[in-house]
Amino acid sequence: MFENKVPTKLFTNMEIDGKEFQVDGDGFLSDPYIWNEEVARLFAKYDGIEELTEKHWAIINFIRKNWEEKGMAPMIRSICQITGVKLKEIYQLFPLGPARGACRVAGLPKPDGCV
Amino acid sequence: MNNFNDKKNKALKVLSEPKDSKLITYLNSCVHCGLCAESCMYYLTTKDERYIPAKKVELVSSIYRRYCTFTGKHFPKLTNARELDEELTEEMTDLLFGACTLCGRCTKHCSIGIDIAYLVREGRKMLTEMEIIPASLQSTVNAALTTGNNMSIPTEEFTDTLSWLEDELKDEVNDPNASIPLNVPDVNVLYTLNPREPKFFPLSISAMVKIFYAAKESWSLSTKMYDVTNYAYFTSNNGEAATIAQRLYDEVRKLNAKRCVLAECGHGSRAFRWEGPNYLMRTYPFEVLTSVELLAEYISQGRLKLDKEKNKELITLHDPCNLVREGGVVDEQRYVLKHAASRFVEMTPCGTDNFCCGGGGGQLAMSEYNERRMKNAEIKAEQIRKTGASIVVTPCHNCVDQLMQIDNKFKLGVKVMTLSEVVADAIILE
Ligand code: SF4
Ligand code: SF4
Repeated sequence: MFENKVPTKLFTNMEIDGKEFQVDGDGFLSDPYIWNEEVARLFAKYDGIEELTEKHWAIINFIRKNWEEKGMAPMIRSICQITGVKLKEIYQLFPLGPARGACRVAGLPKPDGCV
Repeated sequence: MNNFNDKKNKALKVLSEPKDSKLITYLNSCVHCGLCAESCMYYLTTKDERYIPAKKVELVSSIYRRYCTFTGKHFPKLTNARELDEELTEEMTDLLFGACTLCGRCTKHCSIGIDIAYLVREGRKMLTEMEIIPASLQSTVNAALTTGNNMSIPTEEFTDTLSWLEDELKDEVNDPNASIPLNVPDVNVLYTLNPREPKFFPLSISAMVKIFYAAKESWSLSTKMYDVTNYAYFTSNNGEAATIAQRLYDEVRKLNAKRCVLAECGHGSRAFRWEGPNYLMRTYPFEVLTSVELLAEYISQGRLKLDKEKNKELITLHDPCNLVREGGVVDEQRYVLKHAASRFVEMTPCGTDNFCCGGGGGQLAMSEYNERRMKNAEIKAEQIRKTGASIVVTPCHNCVDQLMQIDNKFKLGVKVMTLSEVVADAIILE
């Protein structure tokens, strides 16, 4: 019983455009497997990205694929090299950066570390 | 229930067998003047009295009185002494982990000089002894302990990233021989990184390697131990903090570098340079300095040629708490900016009185308390807005991330950069 008091990851509900999502305190999806393209669009909108362009999708899909295959977010080098999007452009496409921006939109859990 | 008692006894040892005599002095000193209240962002943005720094002190000292003083043991009510029970541990977790960035601003304002942030860390240590640690924070410590870096980057991915950045460097400086030296012994400088740089934000690596190139430095990175962070500082688990610090110590020794230069990372600088000798119980036989100091040194010795007209936008500076209040690194970043940027404006307050970005003390990693973190951020957002600057510079990657979120949430429209990035942009290559 005492062990249960240890703070574990808490989830809350977040509403975007009338749709409810269960997310962690940072807004990352609690269950990465319920992710689909609509989730991506809504999460992006929440961050102020009104429209997902082809470049956005190339990045999102690659991050998603890497996570499904290797269980982690890809290195920024791979994102640049596989999608052909220039580094500085990635930060423009996702103003919150590859982790809190792109990985969150791609439905991944929050990466550890200073992000 | 025995389980709880065992843990409780371990936690109480933090108070009954103090490792440091100042602990008891501080625990006995608060005169309840209330001066510290206005220094804390948590209190200022909510006016919730639970967040007043003195209340955080009181949590720890009420336990001390209950178990370690005569009156507290026999007449607990008289001295407001409190039993360490489950209710109290929940309150401690909520306030010491969840409502403090260890920014130390209250310490500076305390009328009698109590090191409040240190007492919060001792309180966290008690919780850590009881294995009550926010999951998100401990998972980052575990990543560092098990994989050698706090983002679990495999070595091959790390070296691939560096060779990609090396190609960029060759292009940038137009020299096919320009390189990023790896694991080279007997160099002058062994440089370190925050793992978020190779993983997601490598512009600051590109900036530093260009600076080393321009300064003709003899330097290297280690592929085995390059992580400047130490999240065990945030959990106050000194054993784990020592393990992490020891690895960097061993790597500097193994490669026989003269100086270990810490990347732009506030808590990492603190954990290795200022707390490290205590964790390891030894002094360092090599020099340890922050990259901020190194940049200032390069400029003052004329090793970098800069044209500050290359940075024309109005720049403001966010001072990382650990650098200014703990490390006393205050003038160096201003000296660097004076030479690297043409237009600069200070925030108010700034320097040793600066407000935390809100992401310190492990808050950035603890999603449990995200809402409070972004509420605190109102103060920093306002400070930035008032400067009218279009670029915010800060020599700390943790602050960078929090500032990017602040920019997004409060629609400030500013660009966030590290100090080395500004310097690299101003370099004139001969
Ligand atoms: S260290 Fe900073 S956040 Fe913590 S109580 Fe003091 S002023 Fe508040
Ligand atoms: S300023 Fe210092 S002495 Fe005064 S209430 Fe705060 S902690 Fe206590």
